[in-house]
This record gives sequence, C-alpha cells and structure tokens, in this order.
Amino acid sequence: MSKFIDRPRYLCTLGGAVATLKALPRVIPIIHAAAGCGGNIANALHGAAGYLGSGYCAGLALPSSNIYEKDIVFGGEERLAEQIATTLEVVNGDLYFVVTGCMVDIIGDDAVAVANRFHQEGKPVFGAETGGFKGNSYKGYDIVLSKLFTDFVEKDPVKDKTVVNLFGLVPIQDVFWKGNLQILKNLLGKIGYQVNTFFGEGETLDHLKYAGAASLNILVSDVYGIEPAQIFEKIHGVPYVVAPLPIGSAGTERFLRTVGEVLGTKQILLEQVIAEEKARYYSYIERLADVYNDLDFQRYSVVVADANYAPALARFLADDLGWLPELVVITDILTEEEQLLLTARFQDFTSGLQPKVVFDTDTTNVSKHFNASWPRNNNDRYFDHFSPAFVLGSSLDRDFATAIGAPHLSVSYPVSNRVVLDRGYVGYQGALRLVEDIFGRLVGSR
Amino acid sequence: MDYIKDKAPPVREDRLRACNAYGGSCNNLVEQSKKGCLNGIKRSFSQTQGCQLNLSLAILNTIRDSVVIVHGPVGCGGASLSVAGINKNFQQLRDHNARGLLWVNTNMGESEVINGGEDNLREAILYAEKEFRPSAIIIVNSCVPAIIGDDIDSVVERVQSEIQAKIVPVHCEGFKTKIMASAYDAVYHGILRNLLPTLDADIVAKVDKKNQLEELQEKYRISRTVNVLNVSSMSRVDEYELVRLLEALDLKLNILPCYAHPEDFLKATEAALNVSICATHDDYFVEHLKTKYNIPFILRTIPIGVKYTNRWILDIGKFFGVEEAAECFIAQETKLLEKALAPYRELFKGKRVVIGGGEIRVIANAELLTYLGFEVVGMRAYHYDQFADEMLEEVAESDKVPFNVATGQPFEQANLIVNLKPDLYVGHVGGNGWAGKQGIPVLPIFHQSNIFLGYTGVFEFVRRLARVLRNPSFNRNLGENTKLPYFVNWYEKDAFSYIDEGNV
Repeated sequence: MSKFIDRPRYLCTLGGAVATLKALPRVIPIIHAAAGCGGNIANALHGAAGYLGSGYCAGLALPSSNIYEKDIVFGGEERLAEQIATTLEVVNGDLYFVVTGCMVDIIGDDAVAVANRFHQEGKPVFGAETGGFKGNSYKGYDIVLSKLFTDFVEKDPVKDKTVVNLFGLVPIQDVFWKGNLQILKNLLGKIGYQVNTFFGEGETLDHLKYAGAASLNILVSDVYGIEPAQIFEKIHGVPYVVAPLPIGSAGTERFLRTVGEVLGTKQILLEQVIAEEKARYYSYIERLADVYNDLDFQRYSVVVADANYAPALARFLADDLGWLPELVVITDILTEEEQLLLTARFQDFTSGLQPKVVFDTDTTNVSKHFNASWPRNNNDRYFDHFSPAFVLGSSLDRDFATAIGAPHLSVSYPVSNRVVLDRGYVGYQGALRLVEDIFGRLVGSR
Repeated sequence: MDYIKDKAPPVREDRLRACNAYGGSCNNLVEQSKKGCLNGIKRSFSQTQGCQLNLSLAILNTIRDSVVIVHGPVGCGGASLSVAGINKNFQQLRDHNARGLLWVNTNMGESEVINGGEDNLREAILYAEKEFRPSAIIIVNSCVPAIIGDDIDSVVERVQSEIQAKIVPVHCEGFKTKIMASAYDAVYHGILRNLLPTLDADIVAKVDKKNQLEELQEKYRISRTVNVLNVSSMSRVDEYELVRLLEALDLKLNILPCYAHPEDFLKATEAALNVSICATHDDYFVEHLKTKYNIPFILRTIPIGVKYTNRWILDIGKFFGVEEAAECFIAQETKLLEKALAPYRELFKGKRVVIGGGEIRVIANAELLTYLGFEVVGMRAYHYDQFADEMLEEVAESDKVPFNVATGQPFEQANLIVNLKPDLYVGHVGGNGWAGKQGIPVLPIFHQSNIFLGYTGVFEFVRRLARVLRNPSFNRNLGENTKLPYFVNWYEKDAFSYIDEGNV
C-alpha cells in the first residue's frame, strides 16, 4: 500500500510519459484518457518547469480522446481509433505515440492494440499503457523509453566505438535538462565520442532510431532509465554504465574517469581534457577568491532535491565550494535498494563531509528533519546557529528557507519562480552557471 | 432548485443541456440553444482540456486556512505545483497571515486500485488535521476512486467526529462530464452542504440572544448587505472596483467564494441579495440560497464594459429601490470615463479582433470592444448554455460573426486566426501563446493581477490594449520564427470540420 504525499514533486506515469514525448523532436503524443488529464499535465509541465511553454504540440494542443462516462461504460477503443486517424490528418509529426490514463487502463481498453493496427498499416504510431496509478513521472519516462528502445530503435549488430547514448536525466522533471544534455554532449565530444541524448539540442528522431549502433549507454542516474537500459542491452547488445550526474570539478572529473574507463578512452586524452576543463573552470572560479574570502562566503546548506540532483548538488557544495551541506532531503519515491545505492553516493566526498541524508516525499517534513538535525536555540546566551545558510531545493522549499532565514535557489522540480531556457548546471560549465546563480543571491542586495 | 440532499450534483450536460462543441453563427447558436439541440455535439479530432477537477481546484485552492486533499493517483491536481508560489501572494492580499496553498495527494497506486483507497484518504485527513490545524479540509474526488467505488462520504462521516476542521467533500470526477464548468456546481455543492449554516435553528438561536435594538440593527445591516460572488480569474483590484460601485449605492459587500475563509460562508445567509458577475459560474449556488434561505439573486449580466456595468448596477439599484441614485452615479461615471477614453478611439478604429474566454465574458467583451471601435470578427467560448442567450441575441450582425464553442481546441483557433486575419487576439489567460506564435498581438484578460471589471476596468483594459498595440514586435518575431503543429491543408479546411453533429 502506498502512503499519501504532502505536495508531491512529480506527476503520474502519464504525466512523465507526456513530458518525455513533449521533449522529443517532432513527436506527437496522443492521450487516451479523460479530458482533464492532459490539461492538468500541460499546466504542470509549463508553470512548474521554468515556464517551458506548450512546445510544438503539447500544452492545450495535446491530441486527446477526452473520453467520458459513456466511453467508460461502453469502452473507448473506437473513440481512440477515430482520434488517431484524425490526428494523422491534422497534426504534422514524425512519430505518434499513444499514452493512456487511469480510466482506460482500468476498464481494459487495449490502446496498444489500437495503435498497432495503425502501425501495421505503415503509420508511425506507437503506444504504451501509462495509467497514472502505475507510478510517478519517472515511471512514465521509463515506460516510453523502453517502448521506443524495443520497437523504434533499429537493430544494428555493428557497433561504432565512437558513439554512445546518454540517458537517465529525465526531461522536464529535470527543468535544466536541455542545457544539461548539451553540456554533457560537448564534454564527451572532447574525449572523442559522439553522443545521442535523444532530447538534446539539434537532435532528430534519427539519433534515436540509429542508437542501436552505439557502443555504450551512459546512465547519469542510479535509479532512472535503468529498466530501459536493461531492455536496450537485451535487444541491442549495448551494455550500460551508471555515472551519476556530475556538477562541478570534483563530480565531473569522476564522471569522465568512470566513463573513460569503461570505454577504454586513451589515458592521455582523458588527462588532457580534464586538465583543460579544470583550467578553464578555475580561471573563472579564481575571480571569487576575493569576494569569498573578504565577505566570508562559506555557508551551511540544506539540499532538497530529487535522486539525481541531491547527491550531485551536495558533492558540489561540499567538495567544490567548501560549504557545509549538513542535511540532504531526497524527495522521490524510492525502494530500499535504491535508497542504499544513493546513500553510498554521500560517503566518499573528498572534503570528508558526510551530510545527513533522509528520504522523505512530504514537503512539510523538510523542516522537521532540519529541526531534528540541528539543535534549537533554547534562549542560550551562546548558541551555534545554522547561519549563515543557503537552501538549494525547489520552489516549494522557499517557505522553509524563509523560516530558517536562508536565501534559496530553485533547482529541483518544481521551479515556478525562475525562467529557464538553455541554462544547465552539470559539468564544469554548468557549475559556473550555478556559482553565478548562488553567489548572485548572496550579493543581490548590494 | 434543491439537489443538496444528493451527495453529488448533476452534471451540466443533464442539468443545463450545455455544450462544448459548436461552430457557426451567433444567431443560429441562440436558436439551437433555445431548442435545446446543442447537447451531444462532439469532435472527431480533439485536443486536451481541463476537467471539472482542474477547474474545481482553481476555486478551492484559493480558500484560505484550508488543506486540499486530492484523492487520486499522484498526478491528479499536479497543476497546483505551478500556482503554489503565487497563490500565497494572492491569499495574502486578503489576509496578511495567510499560509498559501497546502495540499496532499492520496497517491493511489495499483494496490489501491484493487483494494480501494479509503484508508489512504482517512490517513491523509488525519495528517492534514494534525499537521496544519486548518479550518477546513477540502477533498476533491478524482476519477479512479469513483470508478473503483471508494465511498468518500462514509470516510468523511466516520472521521469528522475525530477532528476539528470542517471536511468538505467535492465530487468533481473528471470523466463524469465534458463541461468543465460543472466544476462550479461541484464546488458550490460541497460548500452548501458543509460550510453554510446547516440549520435555520442556528440563525434563530443567534438572533434570540440579542435585545430588540441589536436585532433591528442586525436586520438593517443584512438588508443593506449583498453577497458578491467572485471568480478565481479576477483580481483583488477587480473586487475593490465592485466594492466602490456598490458602496456608491450605500451597500455593504460580502465577497465569496474565492479567497474567502471557510468561516466567511457562515455569513453567506446574512445578505439581502446575491449578485453574480457570471451567471454560468453561480446559478447553482444562488438558486440553492434562494430555495434554502429565501435570498433573492440577480444573475442577468456581468460588469464588463460600459453597457453591461451600467446594467449590472442598475439592476441592483432597482432591487434596493435606489434606481435614481444608481442612474445618477452611472451618468457621472460614464461621463468621466468617456472623456478618458476619447484619445484612444482613433487608435482602435476598425481594427479586427478575435476574442476567447468564458461564454458570458466573451460576449460582454465583444460589446466593449465594439464600443471602443474595434471590429469583432470572431468569438470563442469554453462552453455554451442558456445563460448567454440574452446577451448573445444583442450582438450586432449576429448572423455574420462566427462563434466557436470549444474548451481549448487551439487547432480550431489557429484556423480561425489564419482565415479571419485579426489584428489582435484578446483571450482568457492560459493558452494565449498559440495566437502569439501566429504573429499577432495578444492581450490576456481574466488574470488575478489585472483589473477588468467596472468602469476602472474599462480604462485599464484600454490602456493595456494601446500598450500592446504600440509594439507588437515580440509576437511578430515569434510568428516569423516558430511553427504550429498543423498540416498546411488544415488551414484550407473549414475550422469546424471536426465538429460532429451526428449524435444530436
């Protein structure tokens, strides 16, 4: 049995599926669900995601069968077939993907079979069951990718040693996905690899279609995209490696070494790229030498984020910025096994710091965990305050930051108080943006 | 009207024979509406829209000192994530200490679909009470618990005695209706059953405690008090304008239901009159207040534009027997306004405009834009029902101007814009980006940050229109550099090609 959630920071399976499809180039989602599912998702994928906008054919333009009571009683397959046919007439896309809501899954509509009928007629129509009760957004991402890897990616027995795929970074749920993918792509390009990210700048569906020729799948997540990666390996014979999302010098160097080792990248090249990137990174970080040391810009910090961002941000704060991330709250729904995997990611910081890591989906509980980990002032004359402090979280954590008197930056979904375009926070380059944004808050009143 | 004994209200397809698919002339629409033949029109191609749960949340999320429990899978109500931040600011415009939007999702998964989700709901209610101590806990019921047979009313009945907060179950399951506006009835139904004084005895008991003078004073106060029913898509400044207009007639206002405190509804019966600014928003509530508490109401029009604002004030003035004072006030206000508008008229003259939004508001807005010198070349409304008949009949050239009934459906709008070639699009907030991508200037209306109602609203609207027209470069650039997702030949077809009247 699942438990209620106080302000969940994700949508349902259908929401994640629509987000994934929305982020793919010229892909048209067709929703087979009650009318409001798409409308609700459209708002959440815009106003809570850095004002992403409706995209090419999402928002209120999402084709949807809008089934209601009568269809629930008599079945909605006929209506879906009509909707697919008319969508093919009206909407100009390269791939059409039917995703389902709770109601049609519960009444047993076979939406995938209806989609397959069109596929057999030579139409680029796919389908998957994504009823919201199956799980949250991440589940939707995994289902859509698995389906595409199974049915859309072409089999290619010949592997290209210079081509890799990268995923596990969930579009829109990671509000900075587009910038992040671009950074990682460029970075891996520097050590000699072409990268398919499927959702990245300038990529087309062909990058996905011919992804079977890659020699490795790089997963930047301990928990997301794992199932699709396993399916990919089984069908296309491409192995995968988990190299967690890297932010900053410490994290990115580890990332490059992990990937380089698996790919057998020439050591000289690897060292050269790391040295160059680090040199550029520190040529900018160096500017902060004065302000950091004159104004004492070390901070206590709390990180409230998803499973991908939380370890990456904490490591960046501790090992790059020399901050004190005392508490990390990971807000995703995770199995015990996944929690163990993630906990291990906080054990080997070069700074020697070990933040307290808690797994909790409930927004109100963030402040409870904070109170449990830092003593309260009982009117003592001398008291070791949690100050100066900084909170990295989502826009839902602004109230908590205000309550402890700390500035706050929204990084993890939902992000409703910032506009995000091509900004990314990963790698060396993204860390510079993050430094600008964090320290920008600290000098904001000057 | 009395549906209050039922757990849930009837949907609008049944109660009002409302429709959300039509394309054709205004006069034909009125004719069909009066014959009751609009029901059952559907689309063979459709795009997504809001459901009654989404729209219910638009209202319920504003209620102060409350916790909303969304009973359903984890994504239901997810759009609240996009308004949680700003909601607190809007609540604090009414109460500086307001906590903003708090909600809990019961997170129904596969196991709940099989075994039922009543336990999750019960635990969520107890959590909301313990954690937040709110005045009200509002439960919005989604599709899944409805189809698997969760009896939320029984859960509420059992748990209510254990907690302080008033529990308000709202039956707004999305799949029950295509008419998003059914949400208004669902929300008011929950409020009427749970937040209004339940017994006449309550009221009598209160009066009994007073001496004769106090009783008279109380009676007088009530005789001069009007409940003004607001909507979630208007602003605090809109409310100030309505207060100004009615205070001029020496009336006091209770503003409900949006951004109200749950306890404010206890006073809803202490008014001489209920005034709506939008009939299709409020008829369910005011009809029930009439039946249950014998409070009369005025539903006829909306204070948008000079003509309808005049009518709105005059109707209320007539009710209180201060027609003359109302006329005097109107004359003075319109004179001042006319003078302020004069410099703008040349700028607007002959400009073609398409309008989108709620049925009543679109028609009032068309009247206003015509009055300002624009040529209204097309109208789009989320849905259509009998409440708009009177106003739509008054539209000039009603046989020529196309009227499109569509909840969203931006593909029909895109087609209309290409073919009608408007110079401007004026649309309800949410979805205006599509018109922007077609390169034309857009003026968004019905937002919680702008004033649009009353005389002040007219002037602010005009000011904003002039501003938007002054430099439309942003959208022009968008038009040149972005593409809508439809095939070119879609624009060659009739905009209403996918509206299927076969089932009528």
